[in-house]
Amino acid sequence: MHSIRIALTTGIAAALLVTAIGVAGAASAQDAAKADEGAIKYRQSLMESVGGDMASISNIMKYGLPLTGNLVVHAESLAAHAKLVSTAFERKVTAGQTDAEPAIWAKADEFKEKTKAFETETAKLVEVAKTSDPAALGVQMKATGKACGGCHDNFRKPKEESFKRKGGGGE
Amino acid sequence: MKRARSAGIAALTAAIAALLAAASARAGDGAAQRGRAVLEAAGGCTCHSDVKGGGGPLAGGRAMKTPFGVFYSTNITPDPETGIGRWSDSEFVRAMREGLAPDGHAYFPVFPYPSFTGMGDEDVLAMKAYLFSLAPVRRENRPHDAWPPFSWRIAASAWRWMFFEPRRFAPDPARTPEWNRGAYLVEAVAHCGECHTPRTLPGALDRSRWLAGSKDGPEGELAPNLTPDADTGIGLWTKTDIAWFLKTGQLPDGDDTEGLMKEVIEHGYGHLPESDLQAIAAYLHSLPPVRNDALAEHEHGHEHGDESAE
Ligand code: HEC
Ligand code: HEC
Repeated sequence: MHSIRIALTTGIAAALLVTAIGVAGAASAQDAAKADEGAIKYRQSLMESVGGDMASISNIMKYGLPLTGNLVVHAESLAAHAKLVSTAFERKVTAGQTDAEPAIWAKADEFKEKTKAFETETAKLVEVAKTSDPAALGVQMKATGKACGGCHDNFRKPKEESFKRKGGGGE
Repeated sequence: MKRARSAGIAALTAAIAALLAAASARAGDGAAQRGRAVLEAAGGCTCHSDVKGGGGPLAGGRAMKTPFGVFYSTNITPDPETGIGRWSDSEFVRAMREGLAPDGHAYFPVFPYPSFTGMGDEDVLAMKAYLFSLAPVRRENRPHDAWPPFSWRIAASAWRWMFFEPRRFAPDPARTPEWNRGAYLVEAVAHCGECHTPRTLPGALDRSRWLAGSKDGPEGELAPNLTPDADTGIGLWTKTDIAWFLKTGQLPDGDDTEGLMKEVIEHGYGHLPESDLQAIAAYLHSLPPVRNDALAEHEHGHEHGDESAE
């Protein structure tokens, strides 16, 4: 009788343990999936932020708005956000709703160069924005735009392959 | 793999800038000077530059991937052997406006003569004067790599006979001069429709969906809907947005444009005077909105039925 009780207890304990491990495993897989998803969402919202500041500067310029004092704030915001790009792409996530090219991690050095170029151009943009010289600002905005394009060229999927196309998550 | 194209853009930019700088020194006379502006209004003719493949600017050989096969652009530098150096004025005009080579054979419509046919002779000749002021580059043209029947030279003649009619741009007296200037630029010189208008199965522009976006632009690129449809087109863009975009390549949301559009802005439209950019914007705003989501995935028979395939 006693041995049966021991066996039963051991069995239940073992079963509980197995279940616990299983749950933990499932939970950690779930955590990983969630972290992947979050990494994608974050880097995309970071990009939307820099897009927003670029658009704000352009709107002041193209409509000739009397808000030139705001230009420096947007430029500083861009420069600050540029410094976040490298951490935003630390976690390698290539599957899911993303337009990031695997080359970001396969050619990490080249990607890093593009990140640096973006930091450099936005830092220059801050200096130019302080001078309130519209022609110089135009030139530096162009250079900043090239820093965006220089990275997107090889590290962001083109429209044809974007996950945003209806019915397709790309390849 | 399409991304490979972009690797060459930086090199292309540098090479063309150098070339244009060299040329502007030589292009002292007025016609060539004006011709440079016309060439820029035409997007800089970057399709004729295969810098990525080691060819010189405008020396041809760039692969243009189309649904009908791969076509290679031709050498339009004034080299007498491999380029257009021996062409007379009338031969150049005939090629641009009628799609016929000096030896009489018809071009495939990857060369956008169905748009250039609208150009005025003075603009065409100014463009020639400018091209002839550039340094000749020796580079043999490469045969196309298209699928039958598009690989047959006779197909180009048949196509031309069936789908082409020489038609000079005629201003609409009921419209403003600004609108007419915009129409002339978009429809003829800048040939926006060649990329942004969907094509019918035989590869003719589907004029019932003029500028409504194409899934199979050159090099397999997707060219968005430019009609003022609020959902699928650029209906929410202001004229100022459009002019700014054509000057800088920057979209209203701050994003940048890529691929072929970036090239034609950088070497072409971006140099147009503000009045021309505004004219293009005014013309685009006047178009009837067409609902066509070029971003939607490829369906079977890409030439029709976008509206119903939502
Ligand atoms: C160092 C590389 C790099 C630089 C520099 C860069 N981007 Fe990006 N950008 C990316 C990548 C990669 C993606 C795709 C992210 C994804 O979908 O996971 C992207 C996506 C975007 C998106 C789409 C975001 C979304 O919601 O899907 C926008 C808009 C954007 N970038 C704007 C900009 C602008 C504007 C600049 C310059 C001011 C810029 N980017 C600079 C790499 C870069
Ligand atoms: C050689 C082909 C080509 C020509 C010529 C061309 N485009 Fe484009 N255009 C494109 C492609 C491809 C895109 C998409 C670019 C991208 O993915 O960033 C585009 C994008 C655009 C956009 C952005 C639309 C959006 O919703 O994002 C506008 C506006 C535009 N083109 C206007 C024009 C106008 C106006 C002309 C003529 C003056 C013109 N294009 C000529 C290929 C072309």
